[in-house]
Amino acid sequence: MSAQGYWSNVWREFRRNRFALAGLSIVAILFVIALLAPLIANDRPYVFVDGGRAYFPLFKDYPALKDVNFRTTRGSFSVMPPIPYSYSAYDLDAIVLPPSARHVLGTDEQGRDLAARMVYGTRVSILVGFIAVFIYVSIGIVVGAVAGYYGGRTDMLISRFIEIVMCFPTFFLILTILALVGPSLTSVMVVIGLTGWTGIARIVRGEFLKLREADYVTASRALGAGDARIIMRHVLPNALAPVLVSATFGIASTILIESSLSFLGFGVQPPTPSWGDILSQSRDFMDFAWWLTLIPGFAIFITITSYNLVGEGFQDAIDPKALKRGRD
Amino acid sequence: MKKYLVKRLLLLIPTFIGITLITYLMVRLAPGDYTTLRAGVQGELKQGAIGKEIIEQEKKLFGLDKPIPVGYAEWLWKFVRLDFGISRKDGRPVSARIAEALPITLRLNLIAMIVVYIISIPMGIFSAVRKDSTYDRVSSLALFVLYSLPSFWVGLLLLLVFSGGDYLNLFPLGGEISDWARDFGFFGRLGNRIWHLVLPVVTLTYGSFAFLSRYARANMLEVINQQYITTARAKGLSDNSVVFVHAFRNSLVPLVTLMATLLPGLLGGSVIVEQIFSIPGMGLLAFEAILSRDIPVIMAIAAISALLTLLGILLADIMYGLVDPRIRLEAKL
Repeated sequence: MSAQGYWSNVWREFRRNRFALAGLSIVAILFVIALLAPLIANDRPYVFVDGGRAYFPLFKDYPALKDVNFRTTRGSFSVMPPIPYSYSAYDLDAIVLPPSARHVLGTDEQGRDLAARMVYGTRVSILVGFIAVFIYVSIGIVVGAVAGYYGGRTDMLISRFIEIVMCFPTFFLILTILALVGPSLTSVMVVIGLTGWTGIARIVRGEFLKLREADYVTASRALGAGDARIIMRHVLPNALAPVLVSATFGIASTILIESSLSFLGFGVQPPTPSWGDILSQSRDFMDFAWWLTLIPGFAIFITITSYNLVGEGFQDAIDPKALKRGRD
Repeated sequence: MKKYLVKRLLLLIPTFIGITLITYLMVRLAPGDYTTLRAGVQGELKQGAIGKEIIEQEKKLFGLDKPIPVGYAEWLWKFVRLDFGISRKDGRPVSARIAEALPITLRLNLIAMIVVYIISIPMGIFSAVRKDSTYDRVSSLALFVLYSLPSFWVGLLLLLVFSGGDYLNLFPLGGEISDWARDFGFFGRLGNRIWHLVLPVVTLTYGSFAFLSRYARANMLEVINQQYITTARAKGLSDNSVVFVHAFRNSLVPLVTLMATLLPGLLGGSVIVEQIFSIPGMGLLAFEAILSRDIPVIMAIAAISALLTLLGILLADIMYGLVDPRIRLEAKL
């Protein structure tokens, strides 16, 4: 069966799972929101017509309009984004306001629009989720492939090392390293990436141990293929499916870790909005400002659930037999 | 069994060295000198404003002036004698602070672990026996939702709803035991402690139900499909007797090893839970040490929590060897 045939089979199985499809749609929507965040939440209008001239303040800076407040100055014609606030502009006359027509999701303790901050928070969660997982999947594949393909002493040494790293409670390890290097968006991604690879490495190692004895590997070795070619062209593609499943679950747990870190103040630093950080700010007024607690928490929950649903559907799709045996 | 044990114990030595080496290197190789980092964090002194002698003195204090191998060896030698240095925060020995905090966290995690097992194994087995029933579907969906709920959010909401009196005032806001309960008799104190533990234990455990009950379900399904179960049914045993006498015991075996897998997660989770419910355990100690860059405490906790996990894995392996003779006979590691 060609590689393409395999993946289209997986997709066909995946599509039959309604929960997984729902998860995938939410993930897609979050992607669109993250991508278009500046167009969705911005305090500058798309179009602003004044004195017979059309301006596009959201796309271009005009020196003449530098001090104009577009919310109060309407001009003869203007089109504002759906959320007409920026994520960082504070308004001390409008602190901790409940959701209303002006602020659809209310405001925080500095009068910043919660909806705008939530929209931008999507970017942080996706960025951290994907980049950190990309880093650790890469490390895990290399380490696991070397251990599993060469076996013997190399495998023993690497496996011992993996066991040692796995002994450290991940969350605590990440927190410690972040304290030493200083928290920021980049360091959060890198540190999660550098600490999270052990699970992937174990999966890849297992698959390689199994596959290196396969007839087609012996055949390509007999044809004179080098180790690198065998690993990259023949073994890795066949070991990839379980890695991608684990990576999908990994994105969910990375988003959870990022928001927990931000909640503890060790994540993304202000003014960049992160859902965990918004939630942590809400602790002082959570007895009345329910929107500051419920909305970011719910966003984190929905995001994590969606990735987990996609992961589940994916897992069942790559191994339909397991589903029938009852292991789901 | 003896050979297996000896081999397993000998393997502890390189792992122990690995764990301590990683801990040491992590602190030693972190960018930025932590003596100056500390000064920056405390905000009392600007970087570069501290006298050179003070920096040198600090470095000497932590063996940072020595080459890495020597510094590591000295730190390790102290570590094995349980001398973890002096906490920068209050000047007390780190070992004393850990001796206070560790039992609290261990107790919390042990209770959490027992609760997870007691609730999720019956759920999983019931799901397996009634596979594809409404109960099976609903419970697996519900557990999936629980699994995806961020624990710090749940912790906050539990506090908001059940404590403090904004809505209900059923449980205390945090801590381990109320001041007014310290003079109670044994059972009074115990009751008060349990009352304090309810919300933290819920926060710590609800996410693990899904994982363990699915595992229990899968194991049970695997066992039910074995031939000896068919034989048991064929000779006319009742459903209950098949499930509980024959299948249940064998489906438990893999669950033993899971304890070791759950442990690091629970320990890591204590940082958040202990912070939210202000429980003075290892998690809170670690968090405060990290906030104030209290390096001796951080190093000790990192190494100790890794060692505890290692012991958990060892214990699980030995138990696994005890219940499954194939493993200890092969002595394959």
